[in-house]
Amino acid sequence: MLKGVPILPRGGGTPHSLKLMKESPEKYRNYMFLVPGMFFLLLFTYLPIMWSTWLSFNRWNLLSPQPKWCGVENFLKLWNHDVFWLVMKNSFFFVTVSIFPTMFLALVFAILIDERVKGRVYYIYSLFYPTLIPMAAAAMLWVYIYSPNLGVLNIVLSKFGLPKLGWLGSSQTSIWALIIMTFWKNLGFFMLIYLAGLQNVNRELYEAAYIDGAGWWRRHLAITFPLVGPTSLFVLIVAIILTFRVFDQIHLMTEGGPGNSSNVIVYYIYENGFKFFDWGIASALTTILVVILLFLTLLIFGLFGKRITYTAD
Amino acid sequence: MKPFIPKGGISMRKTCCSLVFILVAALLFSTPTWAEVQIKFYYPVGVAGPLVAVINGMVEQFEKENPGIDVEPVYAGNYNQTMQKVQTALLGGNPPDLAVVEISELYSLLQMNAMIPLDPYIEAEGGKEFLADFYEGFLGNAYGRDGKIYGIPFQRSTPILYWNKDMFRAAADKLKAAGLDPDRPPETWAELVKYAEILTIREGNQTKQYGLIIPGGWNDWIFEAFARQNGSQLIKEDGVTVTFNSPENLEALKLWVKLMQEMKVCPVLRPWNITPDDFIGGVTAMMYYSTGGMAKIRKTAKFEWGAAFQPKNKQYGTPVGGGDFHIFKGIPKANQDAAWKFIKFMTRPDIAGYWSIESGYVSVNKKSYELAEMQEFLKQFPQMTVARDQLKYAYPKMMAVNYQVIRNAMTTNLDAALEGKKTPEQALQAAHKMIEDAIKGK
Repeated sequence: MLKGVPILPRGGGTPHSLKLMKESPEKYRNYMFLVPGMFFLLLFTYLPIMWSTWLSFNRWNLLSPQPKWCGVENFLKLWNHDVFWLVMKNSFFFVTVSIFPTMFLALVFAILIDERVKGRVYYIYSLFYPTLIPMAAAAMLWVYIYSPNLGVLNIVLSKFGLPKLGWLGSSQTSIWALIIMTFWKNLGFFMLIYLAGLQNVNRELYEAAYIDGAGWWRRHLAITFPLVGPTSLFVLIVAIILTFRVFDQIHLMTEGGPGNSSNVIVYYIYENGFKFFDWGIASALTTILVVILLFLTLLIFGLFGKRITYTAD
Repeated sequence: MKPFIPKGGISMRKTCCSLVFILVAALLFSTPTWAEVQIKFYYPVGVAGPLVAVINGMVEQFEKENPGIDVEPVYAGNYNQTMQKVQTALLGGNPPDLAVVEISELYSLLQMNAMIPLDPYIEAEGGKEFLADFYEGFLGNAYGRDGKIYGIPFQRSTPILYWNKDMFRAAADKLKAAGLDPDRPPETWAELVKYAEILTIREGNQTKQYGLIIPGGWNDWIFEAFARQNGSQLIKEDGVTVTFNSPENLEALKLWVKLMQEMKVCPVLRPWNITPDDFIGGVTAMMYYSTGGMAKIRKTAKFEWGAAFQPKNKQYGTPVGGGDFHIFKGIPKANQDAAWKFIKFMTRPDIAGYWSIESGYVSVNKKSYELAEMQEFLKQFPQMTVARDQLKYAYPKMMAVNYQVIRNAMTTNLDAALEGKKTPEQALQAAHKMIEDAIKGK
């Protein structure tokens, strides 16, 4: 063992502060280990956040090429812009519609795989492989799947006598097309996390329930669902953040169209920053996104954090 | 799991040292020492097809002929992505030496004071004589408001009408009954509507074959062509006067809405990049598309097809499209000179001709068409001459500062009208106002 790796004061007679002072050289040494990590975190995360927050109060675009303080002008502009509200609506729609089915099915598949011994690896791989495909390749694949006349999806639909849809080319379906694709892409990832979470559930509980005569659904409703609570909390927060940040597939498949029907906040930031070259507006949008994500994370922790059962004792 | 603990200080130091050594060595060897000048060349690929390999081949050829210059071609994505990369590089103070961007971006680049005027180079090459080799239609988008020339045409196109001859023949009886010739494409808007109607095949409530596809995505560009055909335009050459809501434009948009919403002979907003596949796959009898898609169709279509001028209404007319070369400010003079050499090479008759054959773009150099190789090729594929001949009726594409905002306003409102969410009048009014605001920087 390396000397001086965390020896936390635990009770004992010496007053807390005194002990810390005695240990201070070692303590500093411990902090030193954090420096490289903190350095990059500051440089690439916290500083840019502060910089973009400052920029969101500046006018900075093609027509005024130097940042100029303008108060809340950018936010007001967004407030009065229809597209902004449409984008917010799309973002929340995307998140709410895609998260819960993803989480639920990920858990169900994880349970099924967990209970199955034969061919287990095969099932894991077949559900997990979409996560491994690069997003760019997956997006192009789905562009062809969604192709209205030649794509496999519409051909299958019409075999069942269902109407062919315009998918990416129609403002009614474009966001659904993206949600389905994102669902396919993320399911395996969350399934794997749930599968790991399930390994922490005490098997004896199932045996006890089985002896008590509980059926499959009952066992999982009463044991699995509550006990994967911590995992669900993690999955929920990661899923919210991931889905709020969806970008690649939108960029590659619809460019937010038709008529902004599939435009979501991160793509809108990108559009404003790198297509319209309005960095002030783009920064204001970034600030809004950060605030929303922060608020949602705190809200979820506040709501569920304390109620979650961490162990089965 | 056991934590990983390094055994001792020395081995750690050894690892670090060797890592640093490898890094330094890699840096040293990654730059070929023999090249005197290195230039970075950003280019987009705006149409379907494996054009990256073609560009790399041309760059190799150039390096062979100019041993002192090392060109690093950077494939930067589609037109939008390329402009963003250029933009980001400019902001980072590390401009590319040479880039091809979409022609409408010229004013935005000028606004950022990013490019050098090319007049001195052109003077040195013989001034007007040098420019005389280029098609005038393509040079219209190369000049800034100060009258200086900032771009040299490279991958240039116009939209044209592709038509599936087999499908026309299959419907010959019906076409003849309607007084139409099945051996030629429509020449006017009125004919276009008639042909499209007859060529649409329905089965129950499903459309098995469309008469026509006017794709989405770049429909602003094709709409500009319709505006020209009706004797109007979208933004005047000054880049400030917006004429979007003219009655002629309204008539054009109404025609589109009629084709898509009322007659349903043309699918609504078919995505741009899969439209050629629809044509190749026999989903549609006609399509409006860039000439840049021709190489792919030539190589993969298993039926007889033709290319034709876009039908006229009051007149034939089309905007040009594509990308120009630009040389940037803030780089050493030697690099600018090398970049100019590269431009000269790429627009030479034989090279521009080769590029045209491989990609389907129009060769920007008139002399390409005098080469035996090119003439032989055109004998086999007379479709390739259509875009060149259409240049007689070509106008410069609209240009303005904030072009991307304008384009977005156009596509958003066109999309809304074509999906029936706004009336054509509302859509044009809304776009008109948004574009005026964008130009004024509101």
